[in-house]
Amino acid sequence: MAILSLRGVTKSFGEGAQRVDAVSGVSLDIERGEMVSLVGPSGSGKSTLLAMVGGLLTPTAGQILMDEVDIVQFGRGDRTRYRRDKVGFVFQGSNMVPFLTARENLLLVAQFGGADKSALRRRADELLNELELTSVADQLSTRLSGGERQRVAIARALMRDPMLILVDEPTASLNTELGERVVDSLAAEVHDRNKACIMVTHDDRMAARADRLIEFRDGRLLNDGST
Amino acid sequence: MLALIELKRRKLQFGLVTGVVALISYLIIMVTGLGLGLNEQAGTGLLALNGDHLAYASNANLSVIRSRLTEEHVAEIAAAPGVEQASPIGYIAAVVAHGPGESDTAATLGVVPGSFAEPNVVEGEQLSGPGEVLVDRAWVRLAGTAIGDMLPLPIGFEAQDFTVVGIVDQGSFFFQPTVYVPLEDWQALAYQGDPSSRPAASIVLIQGEDLDGTRGDAWQIVTKQEGFRNIEGVQAQQATVNALRYMGLLIGTLVIGVFFYVITLQKVSLLGILKAIGASGTFLATQGLLQVFLVTLGGALISVGLALLTEATLLSSDTVPIMFTTDALLTSALSVVAGGLVGAALSVRQVAAIDPIIAMQQQ
Repeated sequence: MAILSLRGVTKSFGEGAQRVDAVSGVSLDIERGEMVSLVGPSGSGKSTLLAMVGGLLTPTAGQILMDEVDIVQFGRGDRTRYRRDKVGFVFQGSNMVPFLTARENLLLVAQFGGADKSALRRRADELLNELELTSVADQLSTRLSGGERQRVAIARALMRDPMLILVDEPTASLNTELGERVVDSLAAEVHDRNKACIMVTHDDRMAARADRLIEFRDGRLLNDGST
Repeated sequence: MLALIELKRRKLQFGLVTGVVALISYLIIMVTGLGLGLNEQAGTGLLALNGDHLAYASNANLSVIRSRLTEEHVAEIAAAPGVEQASPIGYIAAVVAHGPGESDTAATLGVVPGSFAEPNVVEGEQLSGPGEVLVDRAWVRLAGTAIGDMLPLPIGFEAQDFTVVGIVDQGSFFFQPTVYVPLEDWQALAYQGDPSSRPAASIVLIQGEDLDGTRGDAWQIVTKQEGFRNIEGVQAQQATVNALRYMGLLIGTLVIGVFFYVITLQKVSLLGILKAIGASGTFLATQGLLQVFLVTLGGALISVGLALLTEATLLSSDTVPIMFTTDALLTSALSVVAGGLVGAALSVRQVAAIDPIIAMQQQ
């Protein structure tokens, strides 16, 4: 049973003659323990698809089923809880809160409610250890290297044990070696913890490290196969 | 907690905002203190009188200066239904020489010695007969008069020495420190000529209930508060001070609101990211309001400290009519906090409107 199913998902911007379909009738299934790379040129609709799956954008048409529940029907409150509990985001620029330390950036999600704070504190220690961040845990995020920041972002995405991890260009600001380490860390977490992950990337070498590669062009799926 | 950590780690940014809030709050407190000080000098002496109501001559338009009451009027007032006690009071502004080449005006009130209208002394003795005077602390501060001194009060073109027998703490009247003489002496001070044609009093102090609006042919009774409001210039003065105070509060509210709006605008991308990773709008708005509350409270407390310091140092003399009460300090400080929260409502709307998709667009 797929953990995430997209059925005819379309996202259009503008109306009438101005209408542009950023994503057009996309259907796909993603299983637990599967890391999927989403590749394609700029403007092909990859990030729009990622935003819709993450509950940041609402599709114009279609269904997005997470564990058989259609998130398209969610109101604002359900959408916030969905992003908080079911999805872990890793953004391109790591997007740390600059005045917090690495550990505090992880524990930040404990303040959003709906979880046992002491359990989350233990989880933060575990993740910092697994991702080799213990030595920099109490440093302000602005003092961390690019690779460390991206690993903190991965740890933060995993804090609430989400079913789905969404990653947008995680290695764009990193050199090849650091990028490979970050993607390998992510893949290990996905496989070890039986998560599903969609990673948008321009980098073919990084894309090849995923289990499955989906090529996207002009808002449509072009190829879908294992790497 | 996110709000507290940010305050702690961005000390300079929030310290500057706190400083601005403190200055605005200080301005509001000083204007409030000025209003209270002017009030105090305008007529605390009247408010401090031991009664609930005052009777004036009908044609005096509630002016103590213009009011003249005869013995008959005073007797009628004392006999009016609801009046429990009544005691006549006279008023005249007397220029008193209190040193070589030095003189000041004292609000000279005539009271019946031993009546409830005679203020209680805080030092010395009560009035016991003609030729004695009680002086207020404000006069003592001004002229350095002490118990046992002789105070020359003018009668016509001459001056008569009155013995200072006691000191009272009643405040000022018509912006002048008060002194109290026996009613008979007041009549001689205020009116020369045939004693039988002299008015008996300026006003009558009354103890009793439900007397407001009671009228005779030539007199009317109002509450003491109403009498105070009708002291010449008090209403205009209070309206001016209140206008300054409310303007200060309005400007404070706008400045604090704009400050936090700008801080919120600077954090739009960060707030979008927090929303994207699961923070609710309510959580973020609460954090923002907590910051506004703490910053404005901090600013308000600093301003209270500054005001008290100002009172203790620069304004320790009687030259500036300013005074602070606990109520006034608390009300002004809390007004600033409340104004800040109202001003910050703009930022809360901004936070609620932030779309989390911004987290992906900021890259």
